[in-house]
Amino acid sequence: MSSRWATDDPETEAIIAQQKRDKEQKRRAKAEKQRLEDANKAQGRDATSTNGELGPPKKRRRLSNDPDARPNDVEGVKIEQEQKIQSTLLRFPVGEWGPCRHVDNFERLNHIEEGSYGWVSRAKDISTGEIVALKKLKLENSPDGFPVTGLREIQTLLEARHQNVVYLREVVMGNKMDDVYLVMDFHEHDLKALLDEMREPFLPSEIKTVLLQVVGGLDFLHSQWIMHRDLKTSNLLMNNRGELKIADFGMARYFGDPPPKLTQLVVTLWYRAPELLLGADKYGTEIDMWSIGCIFGELLTKEPLLQGKNEVDQVSKIFALTGPPNSETWPGFRSLPNAKSLRLPSTSAPSSAGNPPLLPRTQFPYLSNAGLSLMSGLLALNPASRPTAKQCLDHQYFKEDPRPKPREMFPTFPSKAGMEKRRRHHTPEAPKRGQEAPELDFAGVFGGAPGGDTGEAGAGFTLRLG
Amino acid sequence: MAPSLKHLSNALATTDQLSNSSSSIDNVPSDLETSIRCAGAQLTQTAGVLLHLSQDIIAQAVVIFTRFWLGVDGGSLRIYSVKDVSAAALYLTAKLSFQPTSPRSVLNVYTFLLSQDASPLWFVRQGGAPETPPSPETYILSEGGYQSARLVLLRTETIILRTLGFDTHVALPHTIALTYLQTLGVAKPAVAQRVIQHLNAALLSPQLLYVTHQPNALAVAAIYLASREEEVKLVDGEWWEVFDVDREELGFLVVGMNSAEGFMRAEVSRWKNKAFPIPMVVDEVDAEIERRRMMQEGE
Repeated sequence: MSSRWATDDPETEAIIAQQKRDKEQKRRAKAEKQRLEDANKAQGRDATSTNGELGPPKKRRRLSNDPDARPNDVEGVKIEQEQKIQSTLLRFPVGEWGPCRHVDNFERLNHIEEGSYGWVSRAKDISTGEIVALKKLKLENSPDGFPVTGLREIQTLLEARHQNVVYLREVVMGNKMDDVYLVMDFHEHDLKALLDEMREPFLPSEIKTVLLQVVGGLDFLHSQWIMHRDLKTSNLLMNNRGELKIADFGMARYFGDPPPKLTQLVVTLWYRAPELLLGADKYGTEIDMWSIGCIFGELLTKEPLLQGKNEVDQVSKIFALTGPPNSETWPGFRSLPNAKSLRLPSTSAPSSAGNPPLLPRTQFPYLSNAGLSLMSGLLALNPASRPTAKQCLDHQYFKEDPRPKPREMFPTFPSKAGMEKRRRHHTPEAPKRGQEAPELDFAGVFGGAPGGDTGEAGAGFTLRLG
Repeated sequence: MAPSLKHLSNALATTDQLSNSSSSIDNVPSDLETSIRCAGAQLTQTAGVLLHLSQDIIAQAVVIFTRFWLGVDGGSLRIYSVKDVSAAALYLTAKLSFQPTSPRSVLNVYTFLLSQDASPLWFVRQGGAPETPPSPETYILSEGGYQSARLVLLRTETIILRTLGFDTHVALPHTIALTYLQTLGVAKPAVAQRVIQHLNAALLSPQLLYVTHQPNALAVAAIYLASREEEVKLVDGEWWEVFDVDREELGFLVVGMNSAEGFMRAEVSRWKNKAFPIPMVVDEVDAEIERRRMMQEGE
């Protein structure tokens, strides 16, 4: 696996790009040479083959180049040939595989944080001096061998190469069989820590820059059939060049069409979509869009939008913001497993305007109309009403003034991750793998009797039912 | 942004990986290595069928299995038993798919397939499946056996992952081929069937076609062969270039795929009369090499 280095200096970048191109060309030439050699070998094999009915193909194969010729010559000729071919035929990027390197190639500098799936530290590649983030995967108590979540994280990260997705450089191993580390590009901040540190929230133009990058990365992931399933501000990394990267793919997985049956135990509670809370086992990329809505709200106020204490409380907080669902705004929600115990105010007035209904303006006083319409779409109870990532990118909100701030103009902040230990976040963690989905009793969502300590969080509804 | 081609392409073996293997360094004769690797691929295929896995999972497992043995950094047949790597590759691939399977199911199937008394595989049991059903004790995994085999399975899984640098991505030519057939306007089901047969047979190819060529080229070659065999006329002109395959590569692949049958027949007849079947574990590989050495010295 080769590594990629972003540098500020455009000249260096140009040189690196040139080197990359050269290397790529050489590699192609090598691949081509190898193909020819294979062909040669095969010819030899045919000649010795005892099977009479097999013969060389009718068409004469052009094998003008003797693979034993001086390598320089061959290389040169091949590159020329390759360029000729390139003009008509698409060449696929030729990847390679090789064994993992040892973690001793890195010097650990300082601990950054502990996430749900591993410990992250800042480290230095001893051979190159580059600073990277080293994430140790938690592999204990995995009765089925290498945890599928870790495998999915690696697989999705290796395939999701995008400027807004954290770059996985390689996977290295330690001495023990279950010591596995992900080597990733290092980023100075995560969005959560940044928001905690800031005195004032982001400017509207900055919010747009951040949001566009998250949604851009997510659009790419969804186009590659990858669901992230744990989007939250602490999983969004930022560097001092205003670039945002989606990180922590411990919950990510491929999905299909039609969607396969999946666990609803995903996404950190505060960012979890209502259909998951109501126990849907068939869901799609809409759950990521809900999380985007929560992140959007958090960017506006610096505070997480929906801080439920538990699943029941989370549902009541959601309904307090959006109003309770009805069969008009969310057809079919009644058939979700956990909706049975849900007792809703009987006279929830059918929302007057639009589908999805607009969220109350009082909640987001500084948001433009376009912004509110985007937010209302993202936080639509009915998954089908939420916009896709692509639709988001085209939304009026990003086109109206103030325009998104250019990344280069983005303010820089002192790094928390750089030197000292990062503060533990107060965000709850994503659910653990292999837990049983709890049977939830939502009778208390509107302040009803059961539901334990959540009664008092009755979500500001005047109750008509007990 | 340019669309990513990753979903349609694979990591390919380097020249070094093709010309050197860990096994050859450990003095495994190359013809023996080829026989064992090919038998291992068949073992994987058969086990996958018995586990009711879909063919795309099985094919991916065979490719992972094949990659594992290549290059000096790959696995050696004198260190890792082919049956363990086959089982772990299948288990790992299924785990990542929509059809995961349990260690117990995998190990039950492998115990059956490797039973000298019950196996239907020609390279495990002379003559293939027995005519009268053998007693169940000969192919049932004991609880103690399961516990130790499970540890080996999970350990081998990690070894495969480390050897491949955790890159488990395998793009397959099967669906690509069907799309190409539609593009070419070929509606005859027999052609499609034959295409799939060629693509599945190529998984066993001694030329290691799946680790030397991209899926689009494999698909084109299979279509070329199938349409000739089924006597369906394709469009005039160099249609393969539309699918980004040049004539040279197509020619090589056609020869490679066409030779699969002959190769397999030769393998069967070569091993049929031998006293020992194709070695599936490290000890048997060692014994086979020792036998060959003695034979040579005897001559």
